[in-house]
Formats: sequence, C-alpha cells, structure tokens
Amino acid sequence: MAPPLFVGDVTLPLQFLDRKQSRTQSHAMLFFSYFKDLVGREVTVELKNDLAIRGTLISVDQYLNIKLENTRAVDQDNFPHMLSVRNCFIRGSVVRYVQLPPEGVDVDLLHDATRREARGG
Amino acid sequence: MATGLRLVTERVGDGAGEPILDAQNGEELVHVQPSVSIALGNRPLESPGTLYISSKQVVWLSDVDRTKGYAVDFLSVSLHAVSRDPEAYPSPCIYTQIETGVEDDESESSDSENNETLDLSKITEMRLVPSDPDQLDTLFEIFCDCAELNPEPVDEEDGEHNWVFSADNLVTESGDGEESEWISQNSVPTIGHSNGDHDLANTVLQVLLWALRFYEQTFSPTR
Repeated sequence: MAPPLFVGDVTLPLQFLDRKQSRTQSHAMLFFSYFKDLVGREVTVELKNDLAIRGTLISVDQYLNIKLENTRAVDQDNFPHMLSVRNCFIRGSVVRYVQLPPEGVDVDLLHDATRREARGG
Repeated sequence: MATGLRLVTERVGDGAGEPILDAQNGEELVHVQPSVSIALGNRPLESPGTLYISSKQVVWLSDVDRTKGYAVDFLSVSLHAVSRDPEAYPSPCIYTQIETGVEDDESESSDSENNETLDLSKITEMRLVPSDPDQLDTLFEIFCDCAELNPEPVDEEDGEHNWVFSADNLVTESGDGEESEWISQNSVPTIGHSNGDHDLANTVLQVLLWALRFYEQTFSPTR
C-alpha cells in the first residue's frame, strides 16, 4: 500500500472501515478517542466520491460520523456548490481519509495505541 | 446497502396523507416540517410539499398530488449541511448528498434534464428548502440525530476469509466421526472470526506505523 502524501498534514486512511463495521468496532473506538482530541482543530475530510471538505472539527461519534463547521470544498472548481455550507455532517462510512494538522498528531499516543493493538491483536 | 432515492406513490390518512412507516420494525416519526420545497439533482424546485423525518428515512410528500413523493434512507445520506450562501444556491436549504449504489461514471449525467423519465436511483444531490429559513438549524440537528440512529448494518455473514478458512477446517477435521463434525461446526465461526480480526488489527497497525513514520520523517527535530 502506498498511501498518498499530503504536505504539511498527516493523513489517516479510513477505507477499511467501510467493509466490516462489526469487527472494526474496537479499532473504530481507537480512532474515535483519537479524533475526539482533535475537536476544535482544522481537518480535511476526503470522501469516497473525491470531495474533500476542510473545516473545524466540531464532533465525532463512535461511528466516526464527523461534524464540521466553517467548511469549504478544497477543490472549489469541481464542487462549487460546496463553497459555503456553514456546518456539515459527514457519514462515517463515506469517509476515505482524514487529514490532520501536524500539531494535532500526538506521537506518543500513536506509539501507545500501536503497541496496544500489536499486543491485543 | 445504499439504495438512493425512491419514489413514494402510496400514503395513509385523509387529505394530503402521511408516509407509510415500518412501525413493526421500530420506525417512528421524528419530525414533520410543513411547507418544504425539494430539488433533486439539478432539477428545478418542486412544491408545495411536507417533509417527514422518521427514525429511518427522510420522506417528502407533495401536498397536491397523493401519488407524488420521494424518500431516502438515512443509510444513503452520506452528507448533509446547511447552505445559506445565495451564490451556492438561491434559497437557504438543507443540502444532502446521496449514495446511490450506482457506479460513479453512470450517475447523474448533465443531460438528464432532457429525459422525460427521471431516474431517481441516479440522483446524488437533494436540496430541501423550508419556507421558513429559521428552521434550517433545527432540521440540521434532527438529521444529525437520525443519522446516528442508523449506523452501517452489521453484516454477520460477510467475509470470504471466513468461508475459505472454514472450508479448510472442515476438510482437515472431517473423517473422525460425528464428534469432530460437531466441533468443526461450532468452532469454525470463532476461528474464522478471530482470523478476520487479526488481519484487521494488522491493517490498523500498519496504518498507525505508517502515520508514525511519516510524522517522524516530516517533523523530526533533526531534519
């Protein structure tokens, strides 16, 4: 797998969540608690239909449904009607990537979570 | 899975009537918003109508034509938003994107307006315009609440992995009489399941490791 790189941001692929929601429950919970710490920060959510929306993260729930405020489409030429929605709710199952602000990435937390996953399998 | 928009031609009750809800499976009416216009895709606004939000779906019914209405399950609503910028759309509205289950390149060709018959299954956008724009925030929150009531269905039978695994298992354990058959039947799903989980844990691990590596490469203090 060669994940795309986004300069200045860290991107977490979430595609695997769409197929086996039942088994991803614990992993979804991991991301859930991780994303909760990012509330109030600016993130970019890329959907499976290629629409990418940038906005302030307002809330995230256990299904990784995401609420954004002050949103704008990253590619405004192709998605002009998304210019100006003020608040926006995105269904977790249609999210492909979430790009996080670098300062929002807690490297220790990722370390810990990774180790826990490796141990708990 | 996602089914997209449906035509609603039947309803119950007198006058304009109400949508038929699946009460036996726990579907409840959550909110009724009178005087709402609807626009599907790039098509013009249709009005007047009434919006019914249930715990499972969004239903718009024409006030004048009892055979005319549209419905979409919350499972198929991939995004909803409040749109107030007149440049984006002339009327303040709830903007929704709909997952159709139709292949992307097939959906919503721009010349669809020429077609007499409207193919609802290919509509990927729906706008709901309440006559009172002050209701937009309330509607938005109701949409949020109902979306959370409708997570992706848990599919117990999915996973080719399980199937392959259990088939292997059946072969190796057969031939020892009834007892082993009993064991294999009962133990296979568990083994298959944990196997699937393990794969997934690996995926997550790789994702996290990659994120970590990328982070360290990019933001390493030593450059």
